[in-house]
Amino acid sequence: MSDIGSDGVLAGVKELSPVQKTLAHGLVFLVLFGGWELGSRMGYVNELIMPAPTSIAYRLYEMFFVTGSIYWHYIITMYEATMGFIIGVSIGMGLAITAAISPVFRRYWAPYAVVFNVTPGIAVTPFIIAWFGFGWSSKIALAALVCFFPPFINTLTGLLNIDKDATELFRSLGSTKKQYFQKCQIPSALPIIIAGLKLAMTGALIGTIVAQFFSASEGVGILMQRFAFRLNMDGSFAALIVMSLMGLSLFTLMEYMDYKVLYWRRHSRMEEVSAKRKKQWLKQNGDMSQA
Amino acid sequence: MSNDQEASISNIELNAQYTGSLGGAVIRHTLIFFVVMFIWEMANRTGFSNPLLLPRPTDIAASIWKIYVTQGNVWYHLWVTFQEAMLGCLIGSVIGIALAVAAVLSDSFRQFLKPYIIIVEATPRIALGPIFVTWFGFGMSSKVALAALVCFFAPFVNTITGLLGVQEESYELFRSLGATRRQVFWRLMIPTALPTMNAGLKLAVGSAFGGALVAEFISAQAGMGILMARYTMSLNMPSAFAGLLSITLYGFLLFRTMEVIDKRVLYWLDDDLMAKKSAKREIKYRQELGL
Repeated sequence: MSDIGSDGVLAGVKELSPVQKTLAHGLVFLVLFGGWELGSRMGYVNELIMPAPTSIAYRLYEMFFVTGSIYWHYIITMYEATMGFIIGVSIGMGLAITAAISPVFRRYWAPYAVVFNVTPGIAVTPFIIAWFGFGWSSKIALAALVCFFPPFINTLTGLLNIDKDATELFRSLGSTKKQYFQKCQIPSALPIIIAGLKLAMTGALIGTIVAQFFSASEGVGILMQRFAFRLNMDGSFAALIVMSLMGLSLFTLMEYMDYKVLYWRRHSRMEEVSAKRKKQWLKQNGDMSQA
Repeated sequence: MSNDQEASISNIELNAQYTGSLGGAVIRHTLIFFVVMFIWEMANRTGFSNPLLLPRPTDIAASIWKIYVTQGNVWYHLWVTFQEAMLGCLIGSVIGIALAVAAVLSDSFRQFLKPYIIIVEATPRIALGPIFVTWFGFGMSSKVALAALVCFFAPFVNTITGLLGVQEESYELFRSLGATRRQVFWRLMIPTALPTMNAGLKLAVGSAFGGALVAEFISAQAGMGILMARYTMSLNMPSAFAGLLSITLYGFLLFRTMEVIDKRVLYWLDDDLMAKKSAKREIKYRQELGL
């Protein structure tokens, strides 16, 4: 798990001040988009292929503030993706926990898991549409199907790959099976589980959008497809940007969860949480040093 | 932006301890498979489940025979999808790896690339399907383009992670032995990065498939995606299932091929292969020196 832009990676680069950095990035951005806009206006770039940034921006403005047509599609798509995510993650994690607890189940489920792994989930789209119809349910079902695998495999791997020494410590201290599961297996598996959830979130959004491409009456996916087929390219690019926003907001949400839940992986958060717990403990037990 | 990855499926197999003999396990697995199929068949024949939605296993088997042997129409579509996915995967990986190498070699390029990469990562890339179909038309090129776009990311991120993951001590060794920049790149960075890069390529192959299928769902004249879509639209579910099973089989074969290639290329991770390779090199070395 590495960050492309983390300090470790960028070590050795001469540090620019934040202002310089912003200026430099802004300049690159301006040159890129200015060139594109100019090319569009001068007729070097075909408007039908690559609409000018300003016309896309105008389209976005229109969608959000003038007609307000995007909100309904936006809410529907988010609803479908989130529901699919919840269902898919519950199924995936439920299966993983069962498989982690019961070796027999794990053994007999393994070949089917391989089958699920090698079939691209979105290949099932036509079936899902035929089974669940053209409404919301088919999108939710596809989102769930596409996103169930990463949480499954990651949870299973996390629960099974426990440090041998930790297991021994728990056993020698006489922990029950339940305590071992709650205090040892779950916390040590959490980082990889959350990594699986992040993948699932993206998967759910992709599943929803693909199901909408296949057949739908509402949603950002079908909105974009309609625009594209009418050769209204600025509209379809605006819809694409809306999808990016969705992806970005869901991604940020998952990162925030990562930050909150996995507090022990960041030093500052760790200290914050221990300070809080210390305060709580002192409140409950009284300050012993005073006594 | 983190490179959260799916845990590998092979972990399940590793962790399932086979208690009985291998033959016994195979027999038990087969038995369970046939019991499940029998229940499915019976549920269909007695009318508990609708054969229009979930066709009988025997019907699916008959359809497999039909589309592969008597009608033989599936070969052409398989070939088209295979070409699209492979070509897309090739283009996508080349672009991804080239961008990654450029980003690693030039710090400023990496810095300026970063915000755009975050946007590209957050966008559900498959959502560009309709735009690509409009740009590249209804033929093969739009599918290749979507497959390339969908799969370029995993090789990109993994190559960057791998190339930057070289240990400081190794650098120092190379530097103290007076290695040129080129030697450091080819002899140190690339071999260190290869395992991660190969993992990225494995992911890319799978997603290229998905990309080609989705583009075919949107609009195509030939390919497995459109074949399955046509079958389900005409409620010919047994044939559609036969198509889906072909995709599964195909995905499985690709996955295995990639694993074999992986093992061959990364011979130094496997003791037997390593011993074989060193023996070969020793012979060659002796011949060259005339010993």
